Amino acid sequence: MKKLAFVVEADRCIGCKGCQIACKLENHLGLGTNRTLIKEIGPTGEYPNIQMYFLPAMCQQCKNPTCVAVCPTGACHVNPEDGVILIDQEKCIGCKSCVRACPYEAISFNEERHVSDKCDLCAQSRQQGNAPACVKNCSGGALHVGDLNDPESDVSKLLADAGEANVYNLRDFGNGPAVKYILKNDDWLDILPQECVSVRRGKQK
Amino acid sequence: ATKTALDDQTDNVQIIKTACRACISNCGVLATVKNGRVVHLEGNPEDPMSKGHMCAKGLSGIQALYNPNRNKYPLVRVGQRGENKWKRISWDTAIDTIAHKLMAARQDFGAESVFCSTGGGGNPEFWSISRFCNIFGTPNWFEPGCAQCYLPRMCVYDMMYGGTNASIADSNAQEIYFPKTTKMKSLVLWGADPSYSSPASGGSALVDLRAQGIKTVVIDPRMTPDAAKADVWLPIRPGSDVALELAWIRYIIENNLYDHDFVLRWTNLPYLVNTETNLLWRAETSTAPDQPDTFMVWDEKTNSAQPLPYPYNDDLDVALEGTYVINGVTYKTGFQCLKETVADYTLEKAAKICWLPKDKIEAAIRTFTDNMPGGLCLGVATDQSPNSAQAAMAAGIIDLLMGDVERPGALLQRFGTAGATNMIGYCVPPAPAKLPDAQLKKRLGTIEHKGLHMWLAGHAPSILHAIETGDPYPLRVWLERSGNKLVNLADSKRWAKATEKVDFIVHMYMYPTSFSAYADMLLPTEEWLETDMIVESCNKLMARQSVTHVWETIDETVIWSKLAKRCAQLGHEGCQKAFDPVYMGDDLPYWDNMSELLNANLKDTPFTWEQLKKEAPIEYMSEADYRSYYVYQQPDPKTGLPKGFPTPSKKCELYLERMITLGRTGQPYSHCALPPASKDYSPLPYYEEPYESPLLGNDLAEEYPLVMTNGRVPYYHHGTLRNTAWTRELYPAPEVWIHPQAAQKYGVADNDWVWVESLRGKVRGIAHLTTGINPGSVYMERFWNPETLNTKTHGWQEMNVNVLARSQGPYNDVFGTYTLRAYLVKVYKAKEGAPEGIWLEPKEFKAFLPKSAEATPDITKGAQL
Repeated sequence: MKKLAFVVEADRCIGCKGCQIACKLENHLGLGTNRTLIKEIGPTGEYPNIQMYFLPAMCQQCKNPTCVAVCPTGACHVNPEDGVILIDQEKCIGCKSCVRACPYEAISFNEERHVSDKCDLCAQSRQQGNAPACVKNCSGGALHVGDLNDPESDVSKLLADAGEANVYNLRDFGNGPAVKYILKNDDWLDILPQECVSVRRGKQK
Repeated sequence: ATKTALDDQTDNVQIIKTACRACISNCGVLATVKNGRVVHLEGNPEDPMSKGHMCAKGLSGIQALYNPNRNKYPLVRVGQRGENKWKRISWDTAIDTIAHKLMAARQDFGAESVFCSTGGGGNPEFWSISRFCNIFGTPNWFEPGCAQCYLPRMCVYDMMYGGTNASIADSNAQEIYFPKTTKMKSLVLWGADPSYSSPASGGSALVDLRAQGIKTVVIDPRMTPDAAKADVWLPIRPGSDVALELAWIRYIIENNLYDHDFVLRWTNLPYLVNTETNLLWRAETSTAPDQPDTFMVWDEKTNSAQPLPYPYNDDLDVALEGTYVINGVTYKTGFQCLKETVADYTLEKAAKICWLPKDKIEAAIRTFTDNMPGGLCLGVATDQSPNSAQAAMAAGIIDLLMGDVERPGALLQRFGTAGATNMIGYCVPPAPAKLPDAQLKKRLGTIEHKGLHMWLAGHAPSILHAIETGDPYPLRVWLERSGNKLVNLADSKRWAKATEKVDFIVHMYMYPTSFSAYADMLLPTEEWLETDMIVESCNKLMARQSVTHVWETIDETVIWSKLAKRCAQLGHEGCQKAFDPVYMGDDLPYWDNMSELLNANLKDTPFTWEQLKKEAPIEYMSEADYRSYYVYQQPDPKTGLPKGFPTPSKKCELYLERMITLGRTGQPYSHCALPPASKDYSPLPYYEEPYESPLLGNDLAEEYPLVMTNGRVPYYHHGTLRNTAWTRELYPAPEVWIHPQAAQKYGVADNDWVWVESLRGKVRGIAHLTTGINPGSVYMERFWNPETLNTKTHGWQEMNVNVLARSQGPYNDVFGTYTLRAYLVKVYKAKEGAPEGIWLEPKEFKAFLPKSAEATPDITKGAQL
């Protein structure tokens, strides 16, 4: 069975957040809704010997998705054709169970339409044979999408070339996050995306 | 499933190849236009520099184009200045009104009483402004960049070796775009952050280079992405760069790491310098244009001074070092002078001045020198404080000592060109010779700071002084085109106050900015998706072409042309002649539309503008021909000798004698002789401690203990895009980066609203506690708030770091650079919290979201409104 997911070369992410805007443009996302966010991991260490890398954080296309398990209407489901987790917004009742269940806070809530929203690897664009908008526009060429279950796919080869020691995934709570991160030049840190501040809006007085 | 644009057969859907102008990178773009409305943007993979990538700024193009707050029609003020009450007028009325004001000022106070300005990001064509000034007869235009951005580097590298500088953000250093075949092994990014300044082109290229194993050194007080990924990061104290550069030079000489053969044969360092005059000793002055002067060197074989005919004489044993007394005059080789200049700058001394660990400095130098070839990319940082000229000179010296020029893998190159633009992204000939000599001599501040003549620009602080005081003459009419003068110029309060002294102010831009509140007339200019321009990208020609048009906007390039035409009709002789093709020659007669201008620029290529629009990107030259290495070694067909470098000596002039000539006469950049500056410019770099120094002994540092630095974020270009919803959602307010040690000392916690205060004022920002900043410095980005435009702050007083920056001296001697970075501040918690009325939450930016706007005809293309 196919399993489409991201393989991220974290060494190549330069934190420019172009992918975030590309995603909003492609998917007509409203204010406050994001399907992908770039997180700064670090700096850690003792100044000036410190490290920092960037973590593109989006739906992890889990093998045992908690969002699907908790969804009361079947809106959150796995597409049998390619293994991609989708939200059918026609069926979504806005109960936010999935938002709460996702261990990575990768599900955004569209306040205007009162439905959950998340990365579907640009399902519509893929139908027309195009790569997802973030992949196309990524300045670092850090983002790749492909079939992780096909050993001949480009992403599988990329992972094989990187070597197991350099391939990571976000912390596994039994949900089996499928997205793979390749990091060679820095030490991988087990930090969840939601533990990083992505936009500073200042403390209320 | 929702129906997509492409599904509907009745819709007219086109994908048009164009090029971005959300910053100066010009990345290739595929714009999808549906029934005249732009609906989608993505990168064009055919662009050899951006290779299909597009950044947050470019991808915000649709939100910028259809922004509800666009300037839609020419407007004239009806209320008091600052009330923001306007009335719609026609373009004809607008142009006629301005032209009458210009002509009246010229008659009453002289043409020099008119001044113009540009800059601040967002699709400028700044040679249009310069050209208009030259033709109208005023020497005074300025921009917030220029002496503070790029001119020092551009000018110094031009003087030193005659080629482009290595600024990646300015689309030079094109060797980096060939990562698979380059021989480059190392790269020094000195105050440069391609990941943030040009993510889709330079930033992207660096990712490829690093993946190929190229070593990088980053010198930057803050940990940019490039710093995070560097082999060595030197978090330098802002403003101390030249001290570090001098230490690099000393170390390279001391440890014999330089390319001895190149220095001997292809630089002027062996030439003898008369220590009384600081001029080189010439055996013979050449009158032939192809033949350089003959300089004297010390021959160790005969122990005597001997002439060294170009290019070299292998019979001589040329000394590189040494001091010689000949007939009572002391001569030193250029190399000796350089060595003595840097003698004090040991690694220990640099470590102390620059707040860096000594071993890291050594590791940085070695990373570079052990991995040749390579190059040093000097970014904008050093152009933003008064050591600007010296920083560029020292950077050039480091690269040229290593022989890092025109060889495969070097950043400094003279690659091919289609010859269709005068600077990348600019087509307008500035026509400098059309400005009468008597007017040129009145250019404000440029007798003292003659480097400004390279850009035909006035000295911003001198212009400010003249507005305020009428000294040496009054300035009465201001034609302004920029992304927000009050955000991009140092010392914003003084500029805002100065507007009271100006009789008539026009602000032309794509949307109102803070400056609009101080203007009398607003003109609507085009966003990049509406404009036409030729773009050279490596060996390809691309076309930025209008994919739609809204409201009554006009390309600013044409606005200046219209003004010249109306002034001509009102009897201005210079403007009348500017429409005469014979009189204008290569400077081109003025144009009625962009096609005329662009076709004239394409005359030496096989393409017309119409063709380029259809077929671009077009490869105008093969990649192999484009990457023309070792140009200086090619034989000159006239002399049979190597062509050398386009400098007077045909060598790389590390001992920059021309600085002395420039300061005394204005040559080679002024078209007439000018009186000398008060003191000679130095032919070798020297370090001057910032005036507001944090080092011991400076009283100011007790009250203002931290050193301010600035730097780009990748969502904005200068003053742009604070009015688009998605960019503001991403970065709603400026972060103030502060090291946890400093934060603790000054009672600041992460995410606190803080005051940042200098001698000039105080503004607010959001504290970002990070170890990714030199503990003695703070970082803050420029900012303004379109949402408070109609309040008493006019949006520039809340969070604008340039309220704090220093417009007073000292200035750089050559360029007059003032202090945008490396001044002193204090940071403390703002008990008041956020400034009143500013927007921070995503939903607040709803008012910035695009509104529907019909495509409208562009009146410069012959259509009537």
